[in-house]
Amino acid sequence: MQSAKTSLGDVIRHLVMLVVLIIFLFPIYWMIATSFKAAPDILTRPPTWTFTPTLDNYRFAFEEANFGLYIGNTLLVAGVSTILVIIFGSLASYSFARYNPGDGHIMFFILTTRMMPGIAVIIPFFLIFREVGNTDIGKALLIGLDRPGALIIVYTVLNLPFAIWLMHSFFQDIPKELEHSARLDGYGRIQTFIRVVLPLAAPGIAVTAIFSLMFAWNEFLFAFILTRDMARTITVGVSGFISQQGILWGPLTAAAVVCVVPMLLFALALQRYMVRGLTFGAVRG
Amino acid sequence: MLELRSVTKKYGHKIAVNNLNIECLPNEFVVIFGPAGAGKTTTLNLIAGITDPTSGEIFLNGHSMNRVPPEHRNMSMVFENYALYSHLTVFNNLAFPLRAHRMSQQEIQRRVHEIAEILQITPFLDRRPGFLSGGQRQRVALGRALVRDADVYLLDEPISHLDAKLRHRMRGELKALCQRKQATVVHVTHDYREAMSLSQRMAVINKGHIMQFGTPEEIFHTPANEFVASFVGEPPMSFLDAALSTGAGLPEMVITGTEKQPVRIKLDDDSAITLRQRGTPKQLRVGVRATDLTISMTESATHTVPAEVYVVETLGHRDIVTTKVGPHLVKVVASAGMSLRVRDAVWLDINPNTFHLFADEQAIAHPARRIRVPEGV
Repeated sequence: MQSAKTSLGDVIRHLVMLVVLIIFLFPIYWMIATSFKAAPDILTRPPTWTFTPTLDNYRFAFEEANFGLYIGNTLLVAGVSTILVIIFGSLASYSFARYNPGDGHIMFFILTTRMMPGIAVIIPFFLIFREVGNTDIGKALLIGLDRPGALIIVYTVLNLPFAIWLMHSFFQDIPKELEHSARLDGYGRIQTFIRVVLPLAAPGIAVTAIFSLMFAWNEFLFAFILTRDMARTITVGVSGFISQQGILWGPLTAAAVVCVVPMLLFALALQRYMVRGLTFGAVRG
Repeated sequence: MLELRSVTKKYGHKIAVNNLNIECLPNEFVVIFGPAGAGKTTTLNLIAGITDPTSGEIFLNGHSMNRVPPEHRNMSMVFENYALYSHLTVFNNLAFPLRAHRMSQQEIQRRVHEIAEILQITPFLDRRPGFLSGGQRQRVALGRALVRDADVYLLDEPISHLDAKLRHRMRGELKALCQRKQATVVHVTHDYREAMSLSQRMAVINKGHIMQFGTPEEIFHTPANEFVASFVGEPPMSFLDAALSTGAGLPEMVITGTEKQPVRIKLDDDSAITLRQRGTPKQLRVGVRATDLTISMTESATHTVPAEVYVVETLGHRDIVTTKVGPHLVKVVASAGMSLRVRDAVWLDINPNTFHLFADEQAIAHPARRIRVPEGV
């Protein structure tokens, strides 16, 4: 009796999970399916489940709508800003973890910068980049409206507070004695940081990099306002298919698949790190 | 030669180490011995350069170390929590200090294998510290410190966290290893036996102050004050408060708290002279070691101090009996055959030439030196 009861519970549990999974995964399935449909198949009512797959939508997205450039922009902006976030963030959070400058007030101040909604600062950013874009420095460093440097700066600024707070606990978990030991073993401060602290904080840094990259990859608002064409990123590019003439469902879903799939695979590959990294930063000597 | 001159370290208003003066001769094994929170680790960190002294100076071979960062002091340290690099294999942990000094690959290989052989950790060279037992980790930590030639080796409770059997063995190995190294060693411990058995000289410290600095024999036989006397030796020294009663003949002491039926202890000539030189203090404390006392069931010419059995701890070959003399607890080592029970009336032999006299916590007289090894139980 007992075992029959439990197995019934198991069945119900699995059924519930199945339903939830269908609810969550169906839009993704539908997006992928639509991206391979020809235009007539997309618009039939009721929707068809069977169709002849075609790559026309992808061809359109890349050849007519310039998606190659957008992907390149996203990769550039997300990649460079993540690297900057890790460099500045690890140095900052290390010093907060070890020396606690400002008795926690500076740490808190950094956190407060995230309390402001992005939309509140978007016009100042717009004006700043418009002015900087006209200067020689702005031109040389590709900073300005519709230039990737602008988005790199914005994403770095937006990601840093989160990165500093996330990495802080990882650095705090590294016993001080390990650094002292490395110093006595004959390594200077910077060598100690590179050879002992960074490798031990690697899981935390990896997690931070993942989140930072995903944020930059998905960001829409700033990219929409600060770019027009040359620096346009993939998320804004996707929205471009919603026009006054109508919604180009085929190319839109094709572009969305291109946008989602890399991050999906990336997250799947690293989900072990992500869960572990967020729950415990255990590095014990 | 390593020298600490008037070294003081304050953390805010808290004084961790106060006016410390220690001098370690070349190749000397010095133990810093004290209770938890006495400032032992702080002292070691000051020598290593991990923390800077608030005042005072540290010299190594005549050069001031105050402005020298740890990586240039040529000192090697074992940390209390081992501080192994968990991202590196045991081999790379051991090779880590050698690589900092730009040693050739062959030389690194040779030295790592040599020290691994001595410490019997060769089978674990490819493992990471996380997969080792406490004893193995501790060996790796020792190995990492001893693999290179340093001027000074600093050992912070390196074997205190091992179980008793392993600790006993490592104590011997450690001493042998350090002798082979021919270098100055500063070893920190709160374990009395470790301190006694390893040190050539030891510094007893308490609350950041040096209580006494000397050879283990000096510390054991002529403790400078009550703290050292009570902290060195096992079972710990017992103390009796006593009042000096001056009268005709040899001076006597009456144990405080026994005024109704006074328990008197006679002083010998030496102690009497010393007391007179000290201006005959009225209140004294008598310190007696458990091994210097004998216990008897009957009163006799020697066993004149009445006491009552309070606790009996059986150790097998002998018992440690805690007795009550008036309000004071006095520990005595008794042979196991006496089969004493709690509340038994007994008589103690408190002989003037075995006791230490203290006034205002400072020692004023010690028993005449007899040649004997510090005895454990």
